Order: sequence, then C-alpha cells, then structure tokens
Amino acid sequence: MGDMALGDLEREVMEQLWEAGEPLTVRQVHERLSRERDLAYTTVMTVLNRLAKKHMVTQQNEDRAYKYAPVQSREEMTASVMLDALTASGDQDAALAYFVGRLSPEALAAAIAASKRT
Amino acid sequence: MTALLLGALGLTLSLVVPGPLARARWTDRAPVAAVLLWQSITLSAVLSALGVVLSAPYEVTRAAGSGKPVAAAALIGALVVAGVIILRLVISLVGVTRRSRARRARHRMLVDLLDRAEQHRELGPDNLRVLDGALPLAYCVPGREPRVVLSNGVLQVLDREQVDAVLAHEQTHLRHRHEVVMESFTAFYQAVPRPLRSRVPLDAVHLLLEMISDDVARRKVGAEPLRAALERLTDAVPLAEDARPDPTGDARRRRLARLAMPHTVSVGRNVAAGLAAAGLLVLPTVILVVPWLDRALDHWPL
Repeated sequence: MGDMALGDLEREVMEQLWEAGEPLTVRQVHERLSRERDLAYTTVMTVLNRLAKKHMVTQQNEDRAYKYAPVQSREEMTASVMLDALTASGDQDAALAYFVGRLSPEALAAAIAASKRT
Repeated sequence: MTALLLGALGLTLSLVVPGPLARARWTDRAPVAAVLLWQSITLSAVLSALGVVLSAPYEVTRAAGSGKPVAAAALIGALVVAGVIILRLVISLVGVTRRSRARRARHRMLVDLLDRAEQHRELGPDNLRVLDGALPLAYCVPGREPRVVLSNGVLQVLDREQVDAVLAHEQTHLRHRHEVVMESFTAFYQAVPRPLRSRVPLDAVHLLLEMISDDVARRKVGAEPLRAALERLTDAVPLAEDARPDPTGDARRRRLARLAMPHTVSVGRNVAAGLAAAGLLVLPTVILVVPWLDRALDHWPL
C-alpha cells in the first residue's frame, strides 16, 4: 500500500474518531469504516498506531481493550493549524507562502473567534 | 587601496543601494530580473566583506613595512575571520532550512488530516487541501510534497474564476521553488549581527516573488479575477495596522496597481537589471581582486 493511500486512511480514521465523540476500539473503528468498503482489521490497527506515534490520537487502556481518542477536536485542530499558518516565527518568511499578508496574533485570535461564531 | 575600494563597494551595496531599489517602481515591470539583482547585490556584499578581511591585513602590514612574522600572523588572523563569516552564513542557512522543513512537515500532516477537499474535487489539483472555517485563508506549504491550502471562507468569498486565480498564484510559488529564494535571504538576514540587520532586501524580494506569481496567474486566468481575489481577501481578513511585513499596505497597492495596467514585460529593464546583476558579481572580482591576488601571491608570507 502506498503512502498516499495510508494518508487518505489516516484522514478517514480521524474523521470517524471525531464523529464518534468518544474513544473507540480498533474493532469499532474497523466496523465504521467497513460499512463503505472492504478493509483489513490489521490495516486499521496500523493506521491508529501511526496516528498515535504522530501524537494525533491517544491510546487509553479501558477494560482490557485499547481505545483511541483524538487529542484535539476538529475545531481545535483547525484553529491551531490556522494559528501556525498565520503567526510569526523567526523563519516565518521562509516556511510558508501566503496569498495576502499575515495577521498579528491578536487580530488572528479575534478572527478565529469570529469565524467560530458564524 | 584594494581593501578600501572593496569596503566602499560592500558598504554601498548593503547600506546605500537597498532603500532606493526597494522603493523603485521599474522593478514591478521586471520582477524576475529584480530578484536576480537582489541576489547578486547580497552575494557581492558578502564577497566584498570577505575581500576586505583578506586584503586589509596584507596591505596594512606592507604599508607599515612590517616583517614577515607579523605579516604571517595578520594573514592567519584574516583567514580565521573569513572562515568565521562563511561558517556563520552556512550555519544560518542550514538552521533556517531545517526549521522550515520541520514546520512544513508538521503543517502538511495536519492539513492532510483536516482536509475537506473531498467536497471540492471539482476545483482540481491533487495537492489542494480545504480547511473548515469562515476565516478566509490562502497559502501554500512548499517542499517535495507541496500543498495548497484554502479555508472554506475563501470559497465563500470568491467565485470560481477568482479561486482559480489564487490557485494558479500559489502553484507558481511551488513550481518555481520560491521558498528556496526566501530561505536564502532569511538565512542571510539572520546571519548578519543584529545592529546591522535590515529587513529591506527580505521584504523587497518577498514582494517581487508575489509579483512573479501574479504574472503567471494573470497569464492563466486574466488579471481581473486575480485583482478581485486580492482585493476581496485583504478586505475580508482584518489585517492589523501594525502587522508586519506590510504595515502601510504598500505591497498590496503595488500588486493591485500593476494588475490594473496591461501586462508588458519590459525587455529593456530585464536586460539592464540582468547585466547589472552579472556585472556586480564579475566586475569587482576582475578589476579589484585579480590584480591584488597577483601582487599578493608574490609576497605570500606563509
């Protein structure tokens, strides 16, 4: 399986975890994803382990079963990505390229708060 | 004499030239050549500084009639200082490149996970990622696996043609590897001791790269959608008055102004700027350094 396909799967697994709103076992994630297509249980396990390694999900041991939960809600993670995209750092000029200028942190916080309300 | 002339050249290039060049408007019609010119100005200033360091001790000790041991000590000192300058530049470049890569890798991972592009396949490119959120945001994550990122807000504020204009602009940054140019200028900026630093070249080159991307996007989709996208996005995002790097909106005005005019690449300006860039690198070497080297090697003290 190529990296691209794994990347897509990682996104889909995150979507299931975000939608569920509670920690899920590998089996539960596998069941949810299998509704739409054929997928090996071990593949789901691999993907969840990869996400855990990247610190995107946490692994909790509950009733002798490992459960996985996202470290941040989708909204929180989106906000932190935007914050990272727009706030200053020493190498800000080199890291990313923007269509229009950047925001000051205060303006950005206000803008994110405003965009959450809408 | 060589050391004095090189010193004068270095100071002129790093203190006198940048201000007027950054304010000059001819660059807006020849942005590619202007970027080359900035690069050769910066490189030439560094070479001049190295030239001063290497030639001054020899000239001073010779003028003072010092003996061979003093001359040798002076030369060793000069070589050490030159080595430190080069090392500092290299370390800065490695640091900027490494940190930028790490930040991009993490950022790419997050936008891949948050992507909503499934719902926007009709927009086209495989490397497009769409984020939730009404805050209009358009940028790209350069690198070997580049991404263009749009927020949902952008899709709400812009029509299809304008979105295509933004995408064409960002893809140009990625295809032309503009991040490599920005990394080198950032590295140079950070390597210069703090009191002597100037953001002028950094900001000027940044604006020129935007203009280059604007030109490619304009050829693909026309100037009007690009202009509209630029206006709508800057109006929609509440840019703080004091937010760097464009405190007065000057960069935005210059981009809009040149999009309002018919696109004519000025061959004359391109050629002139290109010649100036080449001349800056070649002429000081030929006129000053080669004769000096010729004389200095005859009296090599080591």
